[in-house]
Amino acid sequence: MADGLAALPAPNWLGEAGLARCRRALDSRLTRETWKYSPLRKVTQALLDAPQTHAPPFADAPEQVRMRRFSALATPPAFKVSLDRYPLAGIAGAVAGDGWLVKVVETPDAPLRLQPAAPGVAAPVLLEVAAGCRVEIEEAGAGLSSFAARVVLLSLAAEAEVCWSRADLGAAAHGWSLLSAQLERNAVLTFNHQSLAEAFQRLDLCVALDGIGAQFNGTGAALAGTGAHLDLQVVVEHRGPHTVSRIKQHNLAAGKARCTFNGRIHIHPHACGADADLSNRNLALTANAEINTKPELEIYNDDVRCAHGATVGRLDDDGLFYLQSRGLTASAAQRLLAIGFLRSGLQGPFAKQAARAFVTQLSAANTG
Amino acid sequence: MSLLQVDDLHAGVDGQAILKGLTLRMDAGEVHALMGPNGSGKSTLANVLAGRPGYEVTSGRLSFKGRPLDQEAPEVRAQAGLFMAFQYPVEIPGVSNMEFLKAAQDSHRKANGLGPESPVAFMQRVRTLTEGLALNPEFLKRGVNEGFSGGEKKRNEILQMLLLEPTLAVLDETDSGLDIDAMQTVASGVNRFRSANNGVLLITHYQRLLNHVVPDFVHVLADGRIVESGGKELAHALEERGYAWLTA
Ligand SMILES: Nc1ncnc2c1ncn2[C@@H]1O[C@H](COP(=O)(O)OP(=O)(O)OP(=O)(O)O)[C@@H](O)[C@H]1O
Ligand SMILES: [Mg+2]
Repeated sequence: MADGLAALPAPNWLGEAGLARCRRALDSRLTRETWKYSPLRKVTQALLDAPQTHAPPFADAPEQVRMRRFSALATPPAFKVSLDRYPLAGIAGAVAGDGWLVKVVETPDAPLRLQPAAPGVAAPVLLEVAAGCRVEIEEAGAGLSSFAARVVLLSLAAEAEVCWSRADLGAAAHGWSLLSAQLERNAVLTFNHQSLAEAFQRLDLCVALDGIGAQFNGTGAALAGTGAHLDLQVVVEHRGPHTVSRIKQHNLAAGKARCTFNGRIHIHPHACGADADLSNRNLALTANAEINTKPELEIYNDDVRCAHGATVGRLDDDGLFYLQSRGLTASAAQRLLAIGFLRSGLQGPFAKQAARAFVTQLSAANTG
Repeated sequence: MSLLQVDDLHAGVDGQAILKGLTLRMDAGEVHALMGPNGSGKSTLANVLAGRPGYEVTSGRLSFKGRPLDQEAPEVRAQAGLFMAFQYPVEIPGVSNMEFLKAAQDSHRKANGLGPESPVAFMQRVRTLTEGLALNPEFLKRGVNEGFSGGEKKRNEILQMLLLEPTLAVLDETDSGLDIDAMQTVASGVNRFRSANNGVLLITHYQRLLNHVVPDFVHVLADGRIVESGGKELAHALEERGYAWLTA
């Protein structure tokens, strides 16, 4: 067991039983499977050793957003996440000791800016978006080289819409985060994620489409350079009828990088008319990159549409020749194809900034 | 000095001989039509000229403006003024057509010791060319050839030719799959392009294009060799009689 885990006190909103469950789950077969490519022990230890940070998640939040510390609430909030699947969520919560309950009660006038994760373990955030509200969330990583961890549990009431854009463009960004979302009827969550990695970055994304017609759109692009260890774990639970998920993730390994993508789509028995589409494309510019991609499908209903694709490849020879035949040098042609590939996975307010960062990185690395 | 000189060229793919002693000479100011049955090696010649990887010259000579070509990288040939319009243009997702055209032009200018043209002047020129080809300006914003119809892809090839102003343009079946109006648009683009200083090698299956772009010479390629050459009337004879009388 990691040092300090046994002595970790349980906050009242997690409870001794909850924390004990997390400790046990660290050793489960499921955890070993989902952490197959990442150093669970090291991350657990980093969580236990990291300082706590209790800054409010949103600075200058408008009046439509109400933030309270867990410790200031009359009754402890429900920490709604599967501790069996995400034991680190409970451990991070216990390390932080306190958390933030954030309620969006009306549509804010402007995008909410989530404070960049500071070094250490951030207080977990329960973010509740009221029925019919539309929220844009922008999260620009600080690119810190010290370990940062954050847990956000998001719930969207009926007809609520959240568009969340995250950019981790400081190559040194290093850490683990969990975004777990639960969607009621016709709620829509869009998550755009772009990352430029040269260190360990793990993202667990878990979306429960509970209500009828709930929808998740996830788009991501990652450029992984030497030293990068990018691990994206996505789980979508289609529980309600006519729920929709669209996932597109483009990963480019430019040096001696390690990229893992695990996309799991689970269609439950009541999810008739569910429509799921997941595509993960990976390109390796060098021979010493390691790419792991594992699509997983579990379908318990016949009346569904499900497309699932994962590819690992190199830059397209025909494309390279086409560009060279127009005068571009081989390295310029490779760069343009690579940036085109990444751009196809960019979406949202950080898309331009990310594309620029990718171009700069690819030019500097002269990877192609 | 000829623009293009191909002497007794033998070339192929994967050790399979496709061109078997092809000889062709073109001078500036000339338009040559290259016709021939499917599989006779027309696209292979175009690809060998453009330097496509995998196409090997096993013997013979190949020179462009007096300089041997066969060791040159594709981009060096392009920068020297050789252009091939692809029979099957390639889609490049995530790279806008405008960005692609700019990169292509910049690479040509750089090879000639010039910096990039001002973006405003460049865009203006591209827009004018686009209009001339009856292409919607929206095409400039879309991914290169991405989701373009067959005819749009072919017009996009002509757009690149007009922009880059090569000295030798090899057009591989640019007329295939075009409707009658598009064919005329493409033909007038080629006619605008042709001049005393450049040459055009038109690979085609159809007389119809040659009514609009009148060639100085017509060649018939069969089984990797030129089996007949003549003036524009040869194309008419082919239209009436097919290839059998030449290849028998
Ligand atoms: N990359 C390749 N790999 C294998 N065979 C090839 C390749 N390129 C061409 N060939 C073969 O070489 C022969 C000539 O092909 P080519 O494409 O040059 O013909 P073409 O005259 O352009 O025909 P078409 O009129 O149908 O376009 C064909 O038999 C073709 O299958
Ligand atoms: Mg052909």
